[in-house]
Amino acid sequence: MASFENAGSGAMVRKVAAAVVENRAWLSEIDGKIGDGDHGNNMAKGFGRAAERISDGDTLDAAFATVTDVLMGEIGGSMGPLYGMFFSDMADVVAGKERIDAPTFAAMLAAGAEGVMAIGEARPGDKCLLDALCPAVTAAEENAAKGFPETLVAVRKAAEDGRDATVDMIAQIGRASRLGERSRGVQDAGATSCALILVTLADAIEARLS
Amino acid sequence: MSESRAKRSGAPDASKRAPLKFGDDPLLWAAWLYYEEGMTQSEIAATMGLSRPTVITYLSEARERGIVNISIAVDRLRSLSLAQQMVDHFGLRDCLVVPTEGGERSLIDRLGDAGARTLGWHLRPAQTVGIAWGRTMLAVAAAVPPQHLADLRVVQATGGTTAAIPYTPEAVATRLSEALSAQVVPISAPCIVSQPQVRDLLLQEPVLREQMQSLSELDMIVLGVSSLRPNSTIHTSGFFANALEQHDHYRDAVGSLVGRFIDAQGTPVIGPLDGRTIGLPLEALRQVRTRIGVSGGFDKVPALLAALRGGYINVLVTDADTAEGILRADGAEVQRQSLSRRPPSSPTPEPAPAVGTPAPPPFVKKLLNDPRAAVDEAMEGLLRAHPGHIARIDGSFRAIRRATPAPEGKVGLVIGGGAGHEPLFLGYVGPGLADAVAVGNIFAAPPPDRILACCRAASSGAGVLHVFGNYSGDVMNFEMAGELASAMGIEVRTVVTTDDIAYSPASDRDGRRGTAGNVFIFKIAGAACDRMLPLEDCERITQKANAATFTMSVGLTAGSLPETRRPSFELGADEIEIGVGIHGEPGVQRALMMSADDIADRIMDGLFSEAGLCPGSRIGLLVNALGGTPMMELGILNRRVHQRLAARGVEIVRTWLGPYCTSLDMDGASVSVIVLDEQLEDLLLAPCDGFAFRVG
Repeated sequence: MASFENAGSGAMVRKVAAAVVENRAWLSEIDGKIGDGDHGNNMAKGFGRAAERISDGDTLDAAFATVTDVLMGEIGGSMGPLYGMFFSDMADVVAGKERIDAPTFAAMLAAGAEGVMAIGEARPGDKCLLDALCPAVTAAEENAAKGFPETLVAVRKAAEDGRDATVDMIAQIGRASRLGERSRGVQDAGATSCALILVTLADAIEARLS
Repeated sequence: MSESRAKRSGAPDASKRAPLKFGDDPLLWAAWLYYEEGMTQSEIAATMGLSRPTVITYLSEARERGIVNISIAVDRLRSLSLAQQMVDHFGLRDCLVVPTEGGERSLIDRLGDAGARTLGWHLRPAQTVGIAWGRTMLAVAAAVPPQHLADLRVVQATGGTTAAIPYTPEAVATRLSEALSAQVVPISAPCIVSQPQVRDLLLQEPVLREQMQSLSELDMIVLGVSSLRPNSTIHTSGFFANALEQHDHYRDAVGSLVGRFIDAQGTPVIGPLDGRTIGLPLEALRQVRTRIGVSGGFDKVPALLAALRGGYINVLVTDADTAEGILRADGAEVQRQSLSRRPPSSPTPEPAPAVGTPAPPPFVKKLLNDPRAAVDEAMEGLLRAHPGHIARIDGSFRAIRRATPAPEGKVGLVIGGGAGHEPLFLGYVGPGLADAVAVGNIFAAPPPDRILACCRAASSGAGVLHVFGNYSGDVMNFEMAGELASAMGIEVRTVVTTDDIAYSPASDRDGRRGTAGNVFIFKIAGAACDRMLPLEDCERITQKANAATFTMSVGLTAGSLPETRRPSFELGADEIEIGVGIHGEPGVQRALMMSADDIADRIMDGLFSEAGLCPGSRIGLLVNALGGTPMMELGILNRRVHQRLAARGVEIVRTWLGPYCTSLDMDGASVSVIVLDEQLEDLLLAPCDGFAFRVG
């Protein structure tokens, strides 16, 4: 079964960080419609700083831990702890692994989602990052037995579909929740950044497998 | 998708210049070679692959178009694609890349020129400038044209070295101070002394202590980066007594700056020299706002990359080959045009905006330098304005404590949240108010470490009370900090404020947000702590104050973030937002613009239905500006608010009018009431002294 080496995964995480930084204006623009318009800036600040401290040769867990340190230690806000726990709990699953295969990848995503739910009060359906993340976890778990390539395709699709589904949701959590019905019709910024992270990570893994 | 959107919304701002390559502008390239590099027209013709008459035409056209005016040309040179890539890749504030080859002048001299120019761009009156030593630094100092900015100070960044070299720290600092007509502060000690004890003794000397104090006040520093190759500055200045010393302890070091050593990741390499070094420490270097590194030459690539990774440099002056080497070494894809053999071409026209795209709203004008530094700079300015009230914790601009010591055995009060609400939160620090405040990024909660630093500063054995607005980010970060504090033996209790009645129905009181009513709740909490009440009582009374406080607000225009300078939501010219939040989030209901009295009535109707106000009720009243609304309009609003309260038979114990809890530059106002019982009234009117709130 296809797998990739844990060591040398730092470059993949830097790609994820680069994608966040590149899309800062877009993320802020989406956030501004129903939030305070700073999502892209705060995310770019955190991931940009993390990328500077990650080496291409780092293991996946080491690189994730660096992201967590920056998000939790320097960024704050709500995304700091939420994504901080996401990456830290994912790191715990892959720590010490020589190679990472599709079932490990699925377990990693599942742990990340649980970490987010443990620290915040949000649940899928609240119009938040979990609406991209949880469908991706399910897709990974359902397809892991078929191998990595199919898992990655499914994860990408689930994350993007989940992100798009937030358009029709009413915000139940965060500052947008004060808007009630008025929050409908706008894509959620957290789900957008989460889908971006998952899709970029899946792309980077795919490139390493081949 | 994202890229096209980014282009559309990421129009020019102060920190970004349009990229421009030499190759796109042969006039600029020719002018640089001729005027800056001193090449002859024939040499330029050969370099650019053109005929000499064409070069002559270029040069004359460059003059006509004003390209040879140094300030314009240099502005465009800064935007060379390599410089732009360096800025983007390393998050630099600025980068200037000079051509690697350039006629007869040495690279060091040309770097010196470019470094001097960069120093000039960033230099402002009354600044304290540090400078390191070495060949390149001397070249910078020698290239600075005489100028007369007022009250400049130049500080030697390290102690002295052997006088066997012409570019000693003293020589460089003196040369720079002369060019700048600045006061010079030497460091009257060797950079490396023989024993740690000697250093410790020297540092106790008043003269040296005073000089070292200047080093901690740097606004800017100009420094070189030394590689560790055998004939580098670090060796010629006599740093390593013997090769063995270097090998044994500094094996991992790839570079040196201000006499200290770093490894490939930029982490300090600590060896026996550390305890013997007198000069700016690396940690302090990173705290200097403008850190101009001037260094070039291919052998410097590992050292420069390490310095960039470590964040010791945020403005870089280097040459093209070195910049390219750094980018490649860090895994970046380098896009570099061949400068010399590119046929002349007209500048690429701006892509036409997509059909049907509405023009973005104009930028909001703001008093800003670097938008990313806005919070730190604002905190620094407020700290300087109010030294009698607030002080930094461990040198942080984001963890701030009261300037006067709190009585021992008092419950500590820590408040905090995102920036952008000034004078909230730091205006409510002082006797009878909070003991410490944690400041986040704009509208984003502070991280746990910072809150913990505040908690520790506020703790004197009787426990600490955390009070903050009910936002998920604040709740998570304060909760984590509380757990960390408990693990250290500090008892922490928490009250989250929920005064915003527009957010949700009264049945969801606990889910509501904290807004301007925070001011009353902080005041009551501060007074309770000041009475030396035990932690449980302080917590209970603060809960009671929160339950008695109600706020409603109206936004007239959207505020705008420093980084975007665009309104954070769209509001029609004749529309207002009722029940707007304090983070630029839209309100709960949009209405057509109405008179001040009608707005006051809308707000008061809401407050009456929530706060149970009846004849004989006694309240504290806060009529608060959201950032942009002038006192005059608050007066107009307050007139009607008082009329309504009088008609209801409510007694106003005291009115506060002004900007107490803002949302950047949003136009609009909020009204908060706190319904008082005897205890709350007593505590509300107890003396306190914060820079934004004083009683008695």
